[in-house]
Amino acid sequence: SGMSKDLMPGPYPRTAEERAAAAKKYNMRVEDYEPYPDDGFGYGDYPKLPDKSFHERDPWYQWDQPDMRHNWGEPMHWDFDMYIRNRVDTSPTPVPWHTMRKHFLVFLSTMLIMFGLGEIYPSYRPVGPKQYPFNDLYLEKGGDPNKEPPVVTHYEI
Amino acid sequence: YRPNRYVSLPAELDPETYDSSPEKRRAEAERLAIRARLKRQYQLQLNNPNPPAVIEDPALLRWAYARTQNVYPTFRPTPKTSFLGALFAIGPILFWIAVFKTDRDRKEKLIQEGKYKRPFSVF
Repeated sequence: SGMSKDLMPGPYPRTAEERAAAAKKYNMRVEDYEPYPDDGFGYGDYPKLPDKSFHERDPWYQWDQPDMRHNWGEPMHWDFDMYIRNRVDTSPTPVPWHTMRKHFLVFLSTMLIMFGLGEIYPSYRPVGPKQYPFNDLYLEKGGDPNKEPPVVTHYEI
Repeated sequence: YRPNRYVSLPAELDPETYDSSPEKRRAEAERLAIRARLKRQYQLQLNNPNPPAVIEDPALLRWAYARTQNVYPTFRPTPKTSFLGALFAIGPILFWIAVFKTDRDRKEKLIQEGKYKRPFSVF
């Protein structure tokens, strides 16, 4: 809508002039402009911006769009809709990532091993078979009411 | 605190935030110039007495175009893309064929031997 073909993204830039033209098109410096590697994946000449989410951007600067922390005309990341403030957050964590991962894996493996051992070697209080009253429920199980039921004793003296 | 793939380093540990050399300062100044030019364009359109109905953002249009219409012209079948395509498109079909076939064969064998207990159904 109102934008010409050379203002839209195009194929991967081959020569240095194409790179300079693409950097100018995307409002970036020529040294900052770095397209995605030409692997045939469909990126074209779209710039590869650092993978930082919008949580890390300065909250006190006067952005043109304050909720997105994004200025008009600034080149957007390919995964822009992933890095908004409702979703993925790449801001630095208070605890180092490797420490977090180590603690989590230790806890998870401990719990899984203990549950597995509990399944293989169960331990519970001793139990016996269930005892039913009225001569082992003779009438309820369909026994003949005219006949004498067999006497069932569950105890020994 | 070691750098990793998922989370960025804090500003105190990242060497790019300090040790500013003249080249870095010049780069920052150039970026600031570009940003100021874009802000000026935006503010002119915003504070216009006859503002346009919608102030189009060319960056947004380029982003949408690149993700939707620019993928097919720039796509190229390479060994990596064709392998990934086969894995994600044909792989699940073959996997579920194998799963259902083995399940049905097992059930059929149990029925033939007479060991299969028909599940109770209300309908």
